[in-house]
Amino acid sequence: MKKIIKNPYSHFILLGLVLLTLPYLAEAGAIRNSTVTVIGTTIIYTIAALGLNVLLGFSGLISLGTAGFMGLAAYISAYVTETMALPFEVAVMAAIGIPTLLGILVGILSLKFEGIYLGIATLVVAEILREIFINVTPFTGGATGALAGRPVLAGTFQLNRIQTYYLIVVVMVLIFILIHNLTKGHLGRALNAMRGSEAAAQAMGVNIFKYRLIAFGIATVLAAVSGVLYVHYVGLSYPTTWNLMLSLDFLAIIVVGGFRSIFGTFIGSFIIFAMSELFLKPIPALANITPLVKGILIIIFILYYPNGLANIKHQVSHWLVRRKGKRDAFGQTKAEKKNLTRAEVRENDTV
Amino acid sequence: MTPSKTKELALKIEDVSIAFGGLKAVDNLSFAIERHEIFGLIGPNGAGKTTIFNCITQFYKADSGSIHFINAKGKETDLMDLSVHEIIDEGIVRTFQNVELIRELSIMDNVLIGAHHVMKQPLLGQLFNRKAIRKDEAESREKAEKILAFLDIEHLKDLIAGSQPYGVQKKVEIARTLMSDPELIILDEPAAGLNDTETKELAMRIKQIRETYQTTILLVEHDMRLVMDICDHICAISFGKRIAVGTPKEIQSNPEVQKAYLGEEGELE
Repeated sequence: MKKIIKNPYSHFILLGLVLLTLPYLAEAGAIRNSTVTVIGTTIIYTIAALGLNVLLGFSGLISLGTAGFMGLAAYISAYVTETMALPFEVAVMAAIGIPTLLGILVGILSLKFEGIYLGIATLVVAEILREIFINVTPFTGGATGALAGRPVLAGTFQLNRIQTYYLIVVVMVLIFILIHNLTKGHLGRALNAMRGSEAAAQAMGVNIFKYRLIAFGIATVLAAVSGVLYVHYVGLSYPTTWNLMLSLDFLAIIVVGGFRSIFGTFIGSFIIFAMSELFLKPIPALANITPLVKGILIIIFILYYPNGLANIKHQVSHWLVRRKGKRDAFGQTKAEKKNLTRAEVRENDTV
Repeated sequence: MTPSKTKELALKIEDVSIAFGGLKAVDNLSFAIERHEIFGLIGPNGAGKTTIFNCITQFYKADSGSIHFINAKGKETDLMDLSVHEIIDEGIVRTFQNVELIRELSIMDNVLIGAHHVMKQPLLGQLFNRKAIRKDEAESREKAEKILAFLDIEHLKDLIAGSQPYGVQKKVEIARTLMSDPELIILDEPAAGLNDTETKELAMRIKQIRETYQTTILLVEHDMRLVMDICDHICAISFGKRIAVGTPKEIQSNPEVQKAYLGEEGELE
């Protein structure tokens, strides 16, 4: 039992189960239907943000093109299912494959140099893509946008809104597990080493170019998955959606949620997207200040909680123990004891 | 004095030069290291010692000359044909003058990075956390624990590397090199920042490492007592040029070396 509680997979599955109950709560009248839609979109954004977190959090590279790649996947999936009338599965493959290939090409061209060039290159690519979304009307529908239906699985199972929401939750849990597997071991160490000390990483045999490319590839794949889910859940794609503001929101998610944390990415996504949709936008006076709130949040987090919400629990528990800590037989609180043993360990070791 | 021909060589450096702008940091330098010896590289500040290290490990590409490594199986490799990250595949691993650890990771994870090139884990296998991957990880962890125990820091393995005292961090860096199954370990000022007791321990450790792990060791060091105590051969350089090679005794009594360190007669520095 203890093993199950400690296993991170079960945390992800538990989160998934909680999210799966939301449509029932809406049916029972406990929450609004629109809330479920907002949470669904938040999950979709979480997936793209998680990709960026692998890139930024682990390998220390920045991409300003997340929205562009996400949009490209959305348009391709809409085009393949609607205009070409091909199965959903084909659309998924095309909509993930093409942006990923483009991403790898951008990576190959920009990653040979210092990491910062990736930021510039992705920004340029995203802006070019946005122009394409606006102007290549036969493919994208121009300013009126492209429409897409809900997914039809295996050519027969037409999903409705709630079933699509379930699909999104399942995909999220799967991605959480896969990314957890990738980042906790060999690849995660190599990426961490690359960010921590490029020289040491190289001396230990980490091929910097290869691992930068892998990290960027993961970010692109997840942005594409996110784009596909978006267009089939929301039902349409406007060129104005895929702008720099969205890419910056993904950065905000990571700063607020926490670098290198999967749960942090979810929490950050909830705060950046869901909070403003659910709590700010319904109040007319506050509807227009959401960018301001996001900006203030970023400043607060960078200044006071640079590790994001994911790590705040340590701070809070520490504080609670300090305040309420019961004194033991030696008159020490738990926190004091912990600090003491740590200090002892250090002393013993410096010899 | 070059090492006698009957002994096997591990590293041959011949006529290596590298210049930065107009400055010749290393100037026609040659020396050779025998297998299983501890070889010291000494010289005043700015003599080009770390530059030579960077040339061997291909962080810098030498302008001219050749650097050959002969591995335990007798295979000779021209290191200048390799990229930085390929050097470790030959069995050459280094530490850094200013400890280069991943500060926010645990000591264990830092040591595991040393096995990066040994662990061949396909990406898809990692993605699905296949059994072979879990086994590989568990075995590496066991190996890392043994190395940490050898260096007496096993009890610290789950602590964050960046919060440890300097002495421990230096040990972690050495543990990381041992994790890579090295044939040649290159230590860049291993005693810098250590106190007297720690330096004595280090001297013992370096000798132990050579015996236990059957490696060759090349080190740059300013602590003359350490160098004279543990090295089999020493190469003294000044302004990128070799001024003497020999046993510690020969180096100590060499007038050129004394001049480079203490200046000409009559000068103060």
